[in-house]
Amino acid sequence: MTETSGASGLGAVLVVGGGISGMTAALEAAEVGKDVFLVEKNAYMGGRVAQLNQYFPKLCPPSCGMEINFKRIKDNRKIRMYNTTEVKSVSGSAGNYQVTLETSPRFVKGNCTACGDCAEACPIECDNAFNFNMDKTKAAYRPHEMAFPMRYVIDAAACDKCGKCVEACKYDAIDLDMQAESFELQVDSIVWATGWNPYDATKMDNLKYNDSDAIITNMMMERLAAPGGPTEGKILRPGDNKEPESIGFVQCAGSRDENHLEYCSYICCMASLKQITYVRERYPEVPIYVFYIDLRTPGKYENFREKLMGDENTHFIKGKVADITADSDGGVTVIAENAVTGAKIEQKVDLAVLATGMEPAAKGQLASLGVTMDDNGFITSDADKAMLSAGCAKKAADVVTSTQNATAAALKAIQVSRR
Amino acid sequence: MGINPDLKFIKYIKAAGGDTVKKCYQCATCSVMCPLSSDEKPFPRKEMIWAQWGLKDKLVADPDVFLCHQCGDCTAYCPRGAKPGDVLGAIRAYAYTHYGFPSGLAKLATEAKNLPILIGIPAIIILVMWFISGGMHLPEGKVDFGYFFGHWDFKYLSKNVLFIDIIMLSAAGLAAYSAYKGISTMWGKMAEQLECNPDFKPSCKQFVLDFLWPSVQEIISHKRFNECGANKSRAKGHQPLMFAFIGLLLLTGYSFVAKDIFGIFIPSLHGPIPQWNPFKIIGNISAIAMLYGIFVLWGNRAHEESVSGTKGTFYDWFLIYEIVAVGVTGLLSELFRLAGVGSLAYISYYLHLVSVMMLFLYMPYTKFAHLVYRTFAMAFEKYRESSFVSVKKED
Repeated sequence: MTETSGASGLGAVLVVGGGISGMTAALEAAEVGKDVFLVEKNAYMGGRVAQLNQYFPKLCPPSCGMEINFKRIKDNRKIRMYNTTEVKSVSGSAGNYQVTLETSPRFVKGNCTACGDCAEACPIECDNAFNFNMDKTKAAYRPHEMAFPMRYVIDAAACDKCGKCVEACKYDAIDLDMQAESFELQVDSIVWATGWNPYDATKMDNLKYNDSDAIITNMMMERLAAPGGPTEGKILRPGDNKEPESIGFVQCAGSRDENHLEYCSYICCMASLKQITYVRERYPEVPIYVFYIDLRTPGKYENFREKLMGDENTHFIKGKVADITADSDGGVTVIAENAVTGAKIEQKVDLAVLATGMEPAAKGQLASLGVTMDDNGFITSDADKAMLSAGCAKKAADVVTSTQNATAAALKAIQVSRR
Repeated sequence: MGINPDLKFIKYIKAAGGDTVKKCYQCATCSVMCPLSSDEKPFPRKEMIWAQWGLKDKLVADPDVFLCHQCGDCTAYCPRGAKPGDVLGAIRAYAYTHYGFPSGLAKLATEAKNLPILIGIPAIIILVMWFISGGMHLPEGKVDFGYFFGHWDFKYLSKNVLFIDIIMLSAAGLAAYSAYKGISTMWGKMAEQLECNPDFKPSCKQFVLDFLWPSVQEIISHKRFNECGANKSRAKGHQPLMFAFIGLLLLTGYSFVAKDIFGIFIPSLHGPIPQWNPFKIIGNISAIAMLYGIFVLWGNRAHEESVSGTKGTFYDWFLIYEIVAVGVTGLLSELFRLAGVGSLAYISYYLHLVSVMMLFLYMPYTKFAHLVYRTFAMAFEKYRESSFVSVKKED
């Protein structure tokens, strides 16, 4: 190793966020010999990608790309990984940052074997945020079936510390007295890979998300289609578990809209097209209606679009859905103007999927930590300050672009200690 | 068919409050949000793209442009801030000028810089009439506007009535003729857009009973206005204002019949109408309603401009100021008259005549023209849906 320069003398890189972008940036930096601290606020790595059923356009499951990254992280002694951890403060400057972090208690120690006895013993049920509250977990739970690290966690908000899990655990791996811990790191550079959240569907009051169980978001559709999801991969209408006989996709739900997200979220057209393949696998004949402003499938994704537009039971309507009404039979009617024919359409569907966009997860939160953001809350990469951004923290992007710009961020990060 | 964008028209729309027209990206949210647009031919999405392309012939022949009440529901939900409501308002302003006769006067009434001329015309005409009448001095004694244009011992028609008739009937007559011409041209253009048999036309009676009268009923009840969501308070100002105009029309009509017709035979009908007269009571209530209504609309527009960044236009404000002027000068004339302050009463009366003449004279070219154009567009909408127009076959 030839690390000689760098104010801290360590040349370490802090990567904030353990999704596909953060893991990529961490691995790229570590595999050229940097010390990397990878911190993630969830109890598991993988972020949003872990919630997907399949990636587009190859339609392989996320385990495909994730597992290899998990293995690379496990095998790399240069990466130190922290879950349930958040950055509290940052001081210093490029090449010499002091970062204070806080790890919230997981209540489950490293010797957990994920046998599941604690969850069985746990008497408390709570909403499963990983599945967008479409099902329940116990307060002692495994984050999801391919969680990394494969350890249980106890929901601090739900747990009443009854101690039944402690008794049930054969390995003495549960410590309900675990406290939050603060610690400091000295790093040269910071890569912010804080990711995105689905835009809050309740904010579009005209789309009446709260009025009907038949209105779901595209991320909920991912969970419905995922084998480990609330319906074990069956696409059923939440609430009554009906097999939908018609499905509507509502594109640009909150994106390209000054009142919500003024930018194009980039992925939603492809995500909906991909989800049409989920529907077709399960329901080869059901009519599908896609309401759009423009179908944006850049580059080679055009082939994917063309293929799906060939499906004769899938109808593409140029016109944004601006109103949805709940019907008494549990379905909904989506209302749009067909801008090609100039007539209003009121389409009854059993399930309406809102293609909600990406909102940067760190929006409005990191300004006090010295991070600069654009008007939309995306983090601006600043190589001079050694404050870099990667993935969807930088811009709305697909997985391919995220891993590319995460690699770019890693390159900028390792250059800091060589100035 | 080639498309011939009219760039001048686009510039006009941008200057007349539709500066946001080019922001529209045709998502069609507006057509769904609009509570007034129909299912078969929703608006204002199609109007937005026509305006972007400067297709003014399509727009002035489009009843939907006039059916819009600018309630702002489309603008509130527009993802691009293209403000379709304001753009349609600008298109209407253009259409009134387009159909206006004589076109010189119509153009004059569209710009703030012509305001001195717009006020000057009635001010000078009335002043000249005052000189001609030989009045030329503020009458002494008890204040009676019946003596403003002097007095003669001519038995049949009082001098004042004759002069008022000369001024107002000609102004109103010109306006009525211009409005008639404008509406018939508009109706013709709109009908050209339909596939209908020209030999199959409603009779005058059918037209009035089936199309016009139901539209008037809708207007009086403010049915459409009340469907608006974003800007509900406008109906609260517009409805009293509309009733005020109807009430004052009743009083004027009564006064005309009593003084100009029966007055010829019964001279005692001249002079101020007593306060206990039912028509006078209606008139006084209307005056209050007028001022209340117009100040609600004033406040509303000022609020819109400060909050949602709607661009203030001469088109919108000229009508507000005109109505305020009519209401305020009318009320002042009456109050000064009752108080016996002769000089101020006659000056207010003069200003009242000027503002009323402005309202009449410029009606077909200013925002006030919606009174006739929207009414007939609503009648056209009913005509379009009637069996007189062949239903277009679905293909």
